[in-house]
Amino acid sequence: MAMFKARVKEFEDIFAQDVIDMKHLRQLTFNGVPDVQSFRALSWKLLLGYLGPKRSSWATTLSKKRALYKQFIVELVLPPGHTLNGEGDGATDCRESGGVGLQDHPLSEGPESAWNTFFNDNEFLLQIDKDVRRLCPDISFFQQPTEYPCDIVVHSEGEQGRRLHERVVPSVLSSANVERKGLGMTKINLITKRSAENYAAMEEGQEAHWEVVQRILFLYAKLNPGQGYVQGMNEIVGPIYYVMASNPDLSFRAHAEADCFFCFTALMGEIRDFFIKTLDDAEGGIRCMMAKLSNMLKSKDIGIYDHLRHQELHPQYYSFRWLTLLLSQEFPLPDVVRIWDSVFSDEHRFDFLIKICCSMILMQREAILENDFASNVKLLQNYPPIDINVVLTHALSLA
Amino acid sequence: MAKKTYDLLFKLLLIGDSGVGKTCILFRFSDDAFTSTFISTIGIDFKIKTVELRGKKIKLQIWDTAGQERFHTITTSYYRGAMGIMLVYDITNEKSFENIVKWLRNIDEHANEDVEKMILGNKCDMTDKRVVSKERGEAIAREHGIRFMETSAKSNINIERAFCELAEAILDKTSGRESAENPERVVIDRRNNDKAPGYNKCCA
Repeated sequence: MAMFKARVKEFEDIFAQDVIDMKHLRQLTFNGVPDVQSFRALSWKLLLGYLGPKRSSWATTLSKKRALYKQFIVELVLPPGHTLNGEGDGATDCRESGGVGLQDHPLSEGPESAWNTFFNDNEFLLQIDKDVRRLCPDISFFQQPTEYPCDIVVHSEGEQGRRLHERVVPSVLSSANVERKGLGMTKINLITKRSAENYAAMEEGQEAHWEVVQRILFLYAKLNPGQGYVQGMNEIVGPIYYVMASNPDLSFRAHAEADCFFCFTALMGEIRDFFIKTLDDAEGGIRCMMAKLSNMLKSKDIGIYDHLRHQELHPQYYSFRWLTLLLSQEFPLPDVVRIWDSVFSDEHRFDFLIKICCSMILMQREAILENDFASNVKLLQNYPPIDINVVLTHALSLA
Repeated sequence: MAKKTYDLLFKLLLIGDSGVGKTCILFRFSDDAFTSTFISTIGIDFKIKTVELRGKKIKLQIWDTAGQERFHTITTSYYRGAMGIMLVYDITNEKSFENIVKWLRNIDEHANEDVEKMILGNKCDMTDKRVVSKERGEAIAREHGIRFMETSAKSNINIERAFCELAEAILDKTSGRESAENPERVVIDRRNNDKAPGYNKCCA
C-alpha cells in the first residue's frame, strides 16, 4: 500500500510541474499508471502528443480542439440542409454555411451534391456499424448509455439520420393482409413480425457508448478519405475511448468523445500503415513488423522458431492480429490498457510491443514444442489467461 | 508427437463479405452454439472438427477469414492450400450477394483449380428481412456449377449438412483418385442418390 501511495504521489508531482518532464513521465507510465484520478487519461494524452508538455497550454488546446470537433459533427455528421435548433438567433443553416443550394436534393446524383455524398458515406458507415456493435462483447460498457450524449445528435427534433446508425438500418416496408368481407367491409391486418434488435436504440436524448465510438470512426474515415475505415480500427479506438469515458474527473469525462477522437487520430498517425494493404511490404508496414518479431524469436530461441517453421505455422497466423491491433484482442480490457501504458511510453514505438509478443511465444515454450500444428495455432490465436505483469516483466528482460 | 487419430485431413476455408456470419457458422459447426456477439475477425481464425464419413475419420481444419478488402493479401495466401471453400453471403444483404461474383473471381485467381466450392446463403431464419430470394441463390450457383444451400447459424439450419456435403465432395475426389489406381474398387457416387436422409447422420 505504501508503494502504491508512493506511485500516486509521483504522478501527482509530475502533473504539478509547469512543464512536464516527458522522459520522467515515460519512465513512470512504462510501469503502469495507477487507476486513480485522471492519471491514465492525462498520461495518454501527453504520450500520444494530443497535449504538449507545457501545462499552461492545455486549457487552450483542449477548448480549441473540442470546438473543432463539434464543428466536424455539424459539417460531417448532420444530414445536409439541417437547421441547428436551440442555437437562438445565431442559428446557422447549412444552406448558407455548407453551400447546399436549392438545386440540391436527396435524389440529386451530381458530384457536387451534398446529398449524393451523404448516401455514399453509408457504404463505409455500414461496415463501421457492424463492427462497433460487436466491440468488446464480453463487457457491457459499450452498450450502456453515456452520461454525456452529443446534444445536437440525440435531439433529432423529428429529423431522421442524425444518429449515424439510423442511416444504415435496413428499411423494411410493412405489409398487410387485406381481407374483404361483403360490401365495402375491409379488414387490414398489419403484419408485424420484426425480429428484436440486439442493440435497441436509445430513447430521444440518450445514446450508448457504441454510438459515440461509431461517430468517432465515421469522422476519422471522412477526414482521412485515402484510408477510410478498415476493420480493426474499432479495436484501437475502443480502449482509448474506455479510458477517456471512465475518467474519474467529470470535467474531462464530459469531453471524452472529442479527446478520444484526437488521441485516436494521433495514434493512427503512427500505426496507419498497418491498415493499408498497399503498404504491407513497406518499411513500417505490417509484414515488416511481423518479420521483426520473427527475427527476434529466431535470435532468442532457435528451437521454438524452427519448430514452428517445420510445422509451417507462419507468423501471420497469429502475429498479424497481435501487431495490427496492438494486442487489444488478445487480453481482457484492463490488461490491454495496462499493456498500452507501456507501449505508449516506448520512445521507439513499437519496439516494446514486439518484445511483448516475443515473450508471449517464449513463455509458452514447453507447450509449443509439445503441440501439433492445430494445437499451436489454437494456443497462439487464443492466448491462455496469464498475469499480464509477468509477461511485461519478461519482455523487459529481452535485450 | 500426438498419435494420429484420423484417416484424412481436409483443409476448408470460409470466405465472404464482412458480417455475413462466417464466424457464427463455424462456431455453430464446431461448438454447436450460437452467439450474435462475435468480435470481427481480423486476419484469419481457425477451428478443428473431426467428422466420420463412410467409416473414415476425417479431420476438418477450417480457416475463417476476415471479409474486408484490406485483409485480402493476408487471406488469399490461404486459398492455395484449401481443398474446399465455402462462400457465404447474407440473404438480408443484397450487396453481399452481388459480391459473390467477386469472391468467385478471387477463388479462380488464388485457389487450386480442383478446389470444391459451395455457396451458402446465411441468416435464412430472418424471413422478414430477406432481400435475396432462394431462387436467385440457386441460379447463381447453377450458373457456376457450384453446390448451394441456405443456412442459419442461429436456428441451426443446414450447417452440419453443408460441411458434410462439402467434405463428402472432397472425399469423392480423393477416393476417385484411389479407385483410378485400384480399378477393381467400386466407388458409389452418392451425388446421384437422394441426399437428404443420409446427410443427417453423416457427421458423428
